[in-house]
Amino acid sequence: MIGDPLFDSESIAGRVAAIAAAISHDYSGKRPLMLGLLTAAATFLGDLAKGLSIPCDVDFISVTNYGDGEGIVVEQDATIPVAGRHVILVDDTVDTGLRLQYVVKRLLERAPASLAVCTLLDRPHRRIVDIEIKYRAFEVPDVFVVGYGLDYLGRYRELPALYAHGTWPA
Amino acid sequence: MAVSRVTFAHASEAELARLFDFYRVDWQYEPRSFPIAWNEHGRPVEFFTPDFYLPEHDIYIELTVAKPARNSRKNRKLRLLRSHHPCVNVKLFTRRDAERVFSRLKRAS
Repeated sequence: MIGDPLFDSESIAGRVAAIAAAISHDYSGKRPLMLGLLTAAATFLGDLAKGLSIPCDVDFISVTNYGDGEGIVVEQDATIPVAGRHVILVDDTVDTGLRLQYVVKRLLERAPASLAVCTLLDRPHRRIVDIEIKYRAFEVPDVFVVGYGLDYLGRYRELPALYAHGTWPA
Repeated sequence: MAVSRVTFAHASEAELARLFDFYRVDWQYEPRSFPIAWNEHGRPVEFFTPDFYLPEHDIYIELTVAKPARNSRKNRKLRLLRSHHPCVNVKLFTRRDAERVFSRLKRAS
């Protein structure tokens, strides 16, 4: 089902290092709160945080998946208060932007000092609602991607590279 | 708007409305028709009615469920809409987009 990597581990490491350097520069003198959207962004956030040359805090938030329940809610909230913090929301994939806009709205209600979005993968051609992405590692074509934290029905998260899966889940 | 109160022209539109509801995005179904062609007297003779309007984001969404080869009529209307109403923000959401998004969002995560 999966063949050659779409992005190998070396390419991923290079992009992660570049984004970490950009964040370290942009937030110099600050201590950003890196807030990861569970579960798929955890691997990316872990590597990103390790690449920073500035101190940061790391926390996670999770929201309901489409199809689970009547509407999206925050299932697991951040334990670190967001108010007054420079927050960098780290997502695995942005396509329609619908999930992200919900999370961004909830976070903005808590009055952070600033809020930026960082994503591992971006599918801008699928965007429904416009959301500013400050940091993106890769723009991906119309393929289903697994590995490096991303799953197909719970599998492949452990793979060190990003692969195009042969099929989309039904 | 509630999905149950609207009669949709196609099941995919209802699915997209449910997606908006799930993500708590306000939507309106076919709230406005835009003239895209006029006769010699200046009267509009052809209109384009996008499927959805998202007021908070000020964007119209046109969902097309036909196969790409059969989209030429809709693409023509979309071109005319953009040409005559350049300030209207409209996005075409294709059948493939819809299938991918619905399946991806339903996957276990």
